[in-house]
Parts: sequence; C-alpha cells; structure tokens
Amino acid sequence: MTEKTDRPTASHHRTPGGKHSLQNDIRREGFFEEIEHTADVAIRCGGPDLETLFSNAARGMYHLMDLKSAPAGPVETETVAMAAADVEGLLVDWLGELAYRAETRGLVPEQVVFRRLSDTRIEADLIGRRQHGFTRVIKAVTYHDLSVEKTGAGYIATVVFDV
Amino acid sequence: MDSTQLKKVGPYTYEIPADWRPDMQAPARLLADADILEAASRDRSLEQLVNTACLPGIVRYALAMPDVHQGYGFPIGGVAATAAPDGVISPGGVGYDINCGVRLLGTHLLTEEVRPHLDELIAALYAHCPSGVGKGGAIRLQTRELRQVLEQGARWALKRGLASEADLERTEGEGCLSGAHADCVSERALERGRDQVGTLGAGNHFIEIDAVAEVFDTRAADRMGLAPDGVVVQIHCGSRGLGHQVCSDYVKRFQKAIHTHGLRLPDRELVCAPLSSPEGREYLAAMTAAANYAFANRQVLTHGIRRSFEQALAGKVSRHSVFQVYDVAHNMARIETHRIDGHPRKLCVHRKGATRAFGPGAPDLPPIYRDIGQPVLVPGSMGTCSWVLRGTEAAMEQTFGSTCHGAGRRLSRRQARKRFKGVKLRQELERSGIHVRAGSMAGLAEEAPQAYKDVDRVVEVVHGAGIARKVARLIPLAVIKG
Repeated sequence: MTEKTDRPTASHHRTPGGKHSLQNDIRREGFFEEIEHTADVAIRCGGPDLETLFSNAARGMYHLMDLKSAPAGPVETETVAMAAADVEGLLVDWLGELAYRAETRGLVPEQVVFRRLSDTRIEADLIGRRQHGFTRVIKAVTYHDLSVEKTGAGYIATVVFDV
Repeated sequence: MDSTQLKKVGPYTYEIPADWRPDMQAPARLLADADILEAASRDRSLEQLVNTACLPGIVRYALAMPDVHQGYGFPIGGVAATAAPDGVISPGGVGYDINCGVRLLGTHLLTEEVRPHLDELIAALYAHCPSGVGKGGAIRLQTRELRQVLEQGARWALKRGLASEADLERTEGEGCLSGAHADCVSERALERGRDQVGTLGAGNHFIEIDAVAEVFDTRAADRMGLAPDGVVVQIHCGSRGLGHQVCSDYVKRFQKAIHTHGLRLPDRELVCAPLSSPEGREYLAAMTAAANYAFANRQVLTHGIRRSFEQALAGKVSRHSVFQVYDVAHNMARIETHRIDGHPRKLCVHRKGATRAFGPGAPDLPPIYRDIGQPVLVPGSMGTCSWVLRGTEAAMEQTFGSTCHGAGRRLSRRQARKRFKGVKLRQELERSGIHVRAGSMAGLAEEAPQAYKDVDRVVEVVHGAGIARKVARLIPLAVIKG
C-alpha cells in the first residue's frame, strides 16, 4: 500500500474545546488536537485508516515542536523500517524516530510514502528538506495514557510527550 | 481521587492505605498541607502515586513530595524504594531527563557590585553557555572520549582542565557514579550526546544569577559560603538528548521484559524489570552513565560561567572567582543503604522530581558538609524565589533521605501559553528588576511564575515535616533560558 501525505502543517488542527463529533473528527483531513496535561503535552489524533492516523500523529508532533524556519536545501529521501509488538508501541516508535531525525538532522518530511503499514510493522519513505530551529524539544514519546482505538469511522489515538 | 480518602498520619503526612486498591503492594504517602493535598486531588497525581505503590518489591511506601504534580508513570515528586530479591528498577521512575539536577555556585560578590554589570554578564553567559532546542556546544567528542564522559562524569572534566577537585568534592557522588557502563548505552544515544556536553537545552532549564535574600541557618550558610546579599548562580539542566534516548531505549525494551518476568502494571510507562535481571542491571548501568554525562554537562557549564564572570567583571570588581556550593540530582535511581525496621538494607531509591536530602553524618557527604547535612537545592519558578535547604535525620527515617525539588506546575503548558505572552512577561520581570534572556518567547510564557505553585509553601511543608531545613532564600537578578 502506498499513500502520499502532504507536508505536515498546523493549519488543519482543531481548536480544543470546539464542539465536534469524534466520528467527524476522525474523517476530517489532518485531524489532531492538543489536549491537557499538567506537566507535559499530549495530542489526540485520528484518521479513517492507519496511514492517515500515523500521518496526523506526525503532524501533531511537529505542531508541538513549533518549527521556526522554512525548509531549505535539496530534497532528500530517508527510509524508516521498524517493528513493534502492538500498534500503540509502533506509534510510539514512529513518532520517536521522527523526533530523533528532526532533532539530529533537521529532517521534517514534506511527504511520507507508506510502503507497508500494519499494526506491528512500518516501512516508509520520508521525503523533504532540512529545517533547523524548533521552539520546543520533544524529549520523548511516552507510553503513558497511550491509546489507539479502532472505531466505526477509523482510528483515534492519544499520545503524551515529555517536553 | 477525593482528598478525604487520605488519612492524616502526621502533621504534614497523608496516607492512602495499601488495601485501597487490590494491586497496591504498599501504602502511598503524600507530604502536604491541606491546600497542597486539595490541589493534588484535582489532577491525576494521587492516582499515579497509587500506581507507583504497585511496583513489585516496593519497601515501606510510595511517597510524593509536596511539589507533586501529574507526570507519566510516577507522579513528578515521586519517591519509591525497592529491594532485592523481588525489587524492580523502573526507567519511568527516573524519567527521560536522567540526572536533571541543580548546581549552586557561590561568589565573593555583593549584589551592588554586580548590578551595574548585569547586561555584560548576561551577554557573556549567553555566549559561553549554549542554550536552545537540540543545541550543540563547542565540544564535539569522539566516541572514545564520550565513553570516558559516561564512565568518569565530572572527573573527565577535571582531566580536561574544566573542573577543580573542590568542584568534584561538592557534587553528589563526587560527580562520578560507579557502575556506569558505556557499553549499555546505544549508538543512537551516543550520537545525540556527542556535541551536547556544556549545553543548557530548552524547556524549564535555566541559568539564574541570584542574590541571597535571607539566611535562616547561619552555621550551615557559612559552611556553604552563603551570606546575605551575596551573589550566587544556579544551573538547572540534565543529560540532554543522550539521557532522553537512554530512557526511551529501555522503556521500549522493558515493554517486553515485563512479560518475560510475569509483571502486571497499571500503566505502561511504569514498566520495570527485576534489579537482578540482565535488563535491570543494564538499565542501571546505562542510567548511571547518563547521570555521569549530566554531571559533566553541568561541570562544563560551570567552566562557561567562570569564563563569563572573568570576561564581564575582571578589573571592575575586587574578586570575581566562582566556587561550587553543591550539585544534586532530582531525577535518578541510586543504590543506597537505609535502615529499615532497625536494620541496614540495600535499596534502589527512585527519585523522580525529588531531591536526595541526606542528613548529618551520612557517609556519602563531603567532609565539609558531614556535620550539617547535605545541601538541598530547590529552584523556584522564574521571578520568584529559590531555596537552599539541608538534609536531615528525619528525611533518612521517613523519606529514604529525600525531599522536594521545586515549586511544581499548577497550570499546563498550554494553559500558560494561552494566559501569558512571553514578551509581556519579560517586560514585567524586567520592571521588577529581573533581567531575562530567552531563546523562545513561547517557551518563556510556558514557564511563567504563575504557572507554578508557591515554592515557599512547598518549603514550609518539608521544613515543617522535618525532611529538610531552611538555610537560605534566594531571589533572582537575571535568568537565561533556552
């Protein structure tokens, strides 16, 4: 399965507190929202399928990192391949990998091509240019309150980040 | 959880009994006054404290200090001691910023001598102490030397000419904890740590120039070199990307280990492994290596601070030298010996957002502090005061030699960003005489003083409970944030 996803952007995200049905949110393009957590930050995100969920989770995380600069330099492609025991663990690994590449190499993909994505395995190409300068560091993606639920409309996930 | 469900068992101690939930292995205790208890019951701090009391092999009780607030896995402000043979070690009980801690530096300067030169001093500090998200420093280490940092900590900095023996002596564990093994640290963690020794980072980390506003214990303050109106410097930071990666690596690995060891836990972030297992031993060795990295990091920052004082103040004031008062961790697990039921017992004490507070006579203390107790450094929020305390015998008896670590958050970062604007906040702080230099205005807003609890109240509780004693109160003159 191959899905192309546009560059992560904050423009689609929902204002917390707005009155939306969760089912509609899941179907909405680019759905993620920041939710309350006293010490750290958390997002809820969704999508009609796993590819969209994983893309929107990445969008939400990049939104939290608050990119300060525009992408620059040549377009590069990097490959991600990882496996986990369950879909929640896979989501943590995926976001952790993206945060690591953003922090150390400045890679923030403008496009993600999923070559393979199941509950326990992901293979994807990250296509984009380098961006340096984030307002907030993501120290880690945690397993606390982590959830990925499948509903009639698709998937909904909650992820807490240590910042 | 409703605060009325806790039983008051001491003037500042509340307890949730071990039978409150079937999976609890021990009672849970909160050090608090009535208001702090009420605040703790409004978020998930108490639920997380109960979860902590479910750790296999936990000894006596799970504890939360009065600066408790909701975290992930353990609450922030959580303390748990475990013991072999069943005892476990939990990376989530230390946190991602391994050996996040505070170093206090003293000077021979009075505030009136420094105030006219604060702008130059801040500019020099900003130049010599790199800060900001993912920021690297002037030192880029080859793998061989990075491994030395991990196994030697601040002692590596001594060999590099960036520390003195007195600095090391006045650091928890002399800045070089034994049992660290670089082989247990992943390649990815090494990569993240290669150029971050001597950097502050971002978030709630800071360098702050303070004045000693009040002295409560003259003998202890004299010993620490603190006098009224004297200028001191605080550093708050940890093991940077290397520590974050070590924790992430082992939390992931332990997700499998809990099944191997047949452990059931109420929160995946509490994953743990027996201290005696290969996973447990390797995490302890890697965490200790990351802790040494953090001691080296704060040591190199200290060198940057000394250069800054030299650059900004040489020829303008009589003495600009900077000496170390103490350096102590507040995110760490240590193997320590404590008396349990009258007998010495080797324990693994997890402190997540809690500070070691060893009392007078503890063998781990440097000779200069052995009769007064270990210095405890409690930074307040930006714009309010900070505290220097000392450890007590009561802390050894009641809290495994632990006390609070700060003010504790009251508002979420999102709430703080909505309520406060960084530029306006900086103007307000500067109007009240506090110079501020920050890499991010949004980050500054998240750290607004109003986003934190009242640190004075937290200190009143630990002082009242006897698990630390007041030595001096500090007020900020200038703050540098990433």
